[in-house]
Amino acid sequence: MLLRAALTDQGFTVFEAEDGVDALEKFEAATPDLVITDINMPRMDGFGLIEALRSGDIQAGLPILVLTTEASDEKKARARSAGATGWIVKPFDREKLGAAIRRVLH
Amino acid sequence: MSAMSPIASSRMRRLTVAQGDSLASSDPEVVFTTVLGSCVAVCLHDGQAGVGGMNHFLLAEPPPLTNEDARLLNRYGVHSMELLINAMLKRGASRQNLKARIYGGATMREGLGEIGNTNIRFARRFLDSENISILGENVAGVVARRVEFRPVAGLSRCKAVSTQPVEQINKIAPPTSGDVELF
Repeated sequence: MLLRAALTDQGFTVFEAEDGVDALEKFEAATPDLVITDINMPRMDGFGLIEALRSGDIQAGLPILVLTTEASDEKKARARSAGATGWIVKPFDREKLGAAIRRVLH
Repeated sequence: MSAMSPIASSRMRRLTVAQGDSLASSDPEVVFTTVLGSCVAVCLHDGQAGVGGMNHFLLAEPPPLTNEDARLLNRYGVHSMELLINAMLKRGASRQNLKARIYGGATMREGLGEIGNTNIRFARRFLDSENISILGENVAGVVARRVEFRPVAGLSRCKAVSTQPVEQINKIAPPTSGDVELF
């Protein structure tokens, strides 16, 4: 809810998913310009989602930002290796988040 | 239908079959595609008419005496299968020529295994009651699947989109900062 409010306030259109599988199921219909994912999610975690989004025919250039409470270098490296575009540690700063999104979109 | 071989060229038109959708086509350039967790997709094909279709349902049947919006009922297999068959017939398919494949129904979270299994059982039971042969299945297990289906050729491909097994929700570490790091 906080993330949705922060992004819609800055003019972004937001589609929400409950977890990685839900995100994949909704991804193709929504065709978003950018994905923000957590790491700790049921069914399919953020690493699995990033790998799935980067695999096969799904947009290779899609920016994927990880927004998480995780701060370990190991997990950050794993996300980067999986194909994440950036890493943001919660709690997020609205302005910093908006600036990061605009930067990776342009 | 076959599995694991490339089935779509770059000029093919990809149509996503989202949750609740039931799509049919007689366009040889169309590829239906979907991603499934515990949901089930049934692909129907009439080789003589050159018509195929795919649906994507979340649950087998609505609870008794439900007051749900009619549009939301498409999420349930019992409605979704009827819509799919009707869409096939509308495009010239014959009920007696229909062949089916079933995909999905994974157990994506411990304790929720019955959703996927119930969806699979429902699809089998429904197809049996309609005398529609099941040519193959790629169902159950613990991983999400991507399914592609060319409706006219009747070619399908199914692959896992995650090799990660069922997992518990991890404990969340305490928050640290709001810094942004772009790789």
